[in-house]
Amino acid sequence: MDLENTKAQMRKGILEYCILSVLSRNSCYASDIIKELKEAEVIVVEGTLYPLLTRQKNGGLLSYRWEESQQGPPRKYYELTEAGRSYLADLDKSWNELVESVNHIRTR
Amino acid sequence: MDKTININIAGTLFQIDDEAFRILRDYLQAINNRFRNVQGGHETVEDIESRIAEIFQSQRGLAGVITKENVEAMISIIGKPEDFDQNEPEQEQKVYTAQRKRMYRNPDDKIIGGVCSGLGAYLETDPVLFRILFVLFTAFFGVGFFIYIVLWIALPEANTDVRKREMFGNAYHSAISMTKQTDGPYNSTSEQYSASYNNTSKIGNAFNEVFRAIGRVCYIIFRIFMIIIGVLLVMTGFLAILTLLMIFVFKLPWAFTTDAFDSTLVYLPDFLNYIVNPSVAPWIIALTLMAIILPLLAFIYWGVKMIFWFKAKDGIVSLAGFVLWVMVIAALTIILFNEGISFSETARTASQTVYPNPPDTLYVLTDKKVADLKFDKKFSVPDDDYTVFLVDSTRNMYISPDLQLRITDKDNAKVEIRKRSSGRTREDAIRKSESLVYNYRMSHDTLYLDEYFTIPEGNKWTADNLRINLFVPEKTVLYFDSSTEKLFHNVIEVGWVKSDTISSSKIDYNTEPWELGNKFWTITEDGLKEAEKVKTKKK
Repeated sequence: MDLENTKAQMRKGILEYCILSVLSRNSCYASDIIKELKEAEVIVVEGTLYPLLTRQKNGGLLSYRWEESQQGPPRKYYELTEAGRSYLADLDKSWNELVESVNHIRTR
Repeated sequence: MDKTININIAGTLFQIDDEAFRILRDYLQAINNRFRNVQGGHETVEDIESRIAEIFQSQRGLAGVITKENVEAMISIIGKPEDFDQNEPEQEQKVYTAQRKRMYRNPDDKIIGGVCSGLGAYLETDPVLFRILFVLFTAFFGVGFFIYIVLWIALPEANTDVRKREMFGNAYHSAISMTKQTDGPYNSTSEQYSASYNNTSKIGNAFNEVFRAIGRVCYIIFRIFMIIIGVLLVMTGFLAILTLLMIFVFKLPWAFTTDAFDSTLVYLPDFLNYIVNPSVAPWIIALTLMAIILPLLAFIYWGVKMIFWFKAKDGIVSLAGFVLWVMVIAALTIILFNEGISFSETARTASQTVYPNPPDTLYVLTDKKVADLKFDKKFSVPDDDYTVFLVDSTRNMYISPDLQLRITDKDNAKVEIRKRSSGRTREDAIRKSESLVYNYRMSHDTLYLDEYFTIPEGNKWTADNLRINLFVPEKTVLYFDSSTEKLFHNVIEVGWVKSDTISSSKIDYNTEPWELGNKFWTITEDGLKEAEKVKTKKK
């Protein structure tokens, strides 16, 4: 068994949830999201985030606006849409259930 | 000295050194490959590119040149494409297994048409080899040149990524990192890079430079040639369509006054109603127009394409057009064949009136005149003096008959009317010919002939013809006026008839029909001789 692989599998499921959670507080530029996710050690490289953002945006969960930047090209600021918020609420609920289930098993 | 290159990433210009550029190029290519077949992948690539630009901007050193270290730092921040996959669902992993290989023209490394480059990719050989071969073979009566043109036309261009993969086969990944890219973010650098980053030797490069120069000249000559042909095609197409419109739609034949057209050609479509079953006439016109205009449109399209040299996915349209054209021709053939059957049998019928004791001087005048017909349209068969007059309101047809002279050894005069018609069967044809209406009468010393015969209402035109044979004894003096002279069509034929059979018949070349009018003529075996105004009993 490959420990790294199992960890990656576990991260895979929660990464989308984490992005939505970060954005639920306020609208963010991709780098801000990355910073938070890196601090939480959920991701390793930035490249992981971009396809997910695109997919969530295309799925109607996110919208974005352009903002000028002092350091280079204009930036995309992402925020949750209404659909994104209710999606997140569902995820919150199922996360709590998961934690409870796992705890239930671990503390038996 | 280190070479630096200007590149454009997400709208920002950077100077980058040689080594860093190659790493960056491979990295971007890898990212492109990674997201190529992923939904929304293009947007993701753009996002990553703007992030790269941002990172470079924050890292740019004093000299402002991006170095290998900068690029590597950037890659460690963003990560390699294979590291992205830790969070991607498996089904989005794309796989390119064993490649099938096909021959294409290579647009990324071309001198004229990319044929040699495509051959090189297909046979995994240096394209320079083929370039030299083509030039050598061109020295042999231009053989190489023609082979090149044929291949240029026959081989499709590898203008998509799939085609590029097929062109290189399994060597794709090594090849693509060597040759220049037509898409991707380092567009502006591709031109200056293509020459020096080829997978060719130094001698090969020198050859390539020479060929490139020759290629440009050849290409320009070729293009000029194509443009001239294109302009000719477009002009031919337009003029032909314009001519058709002017003649058949606007009915302005005089706009193209040449001997090639009879001015009555404009009524050909209208006349069609009288020849064929009226219900199929519009079909014949429409199909004929299509049969003519479709190729003309193709001419114009090819011409425009040759002039502007654009690529279009027109294969299906061209094929559809061609199939349509063949179908039109087939339908037209069937209809015309079907209608043509009504002309399959021809029959002649004759009737005659004998006039005993004819006058010595016979006046031949016309009775009913074409001028009084108030016809709407006139249609003549060029060079044959066969004219049909159409009256639309009654759908009647009036046709000019043909008058000829016969010398008889008898004492009496005779008018013989020979009618000819066609029909689906012989009976049809006979019935049709008998139904033709023609009036003439003898009054004292004057024979009155109508200027036309009539096809009765409701009948189609079936190549109907009517011949008037006027039999008179030899030495009879004949008087024609300016209207009867027109009844002799192109020629004056004088037949010598003994015991009711024509023993000799000859054309009077000495006299032309238009000389006859308002004069007296003595009819002899040798033709007509102008007579003194004598022997008149009356008038």
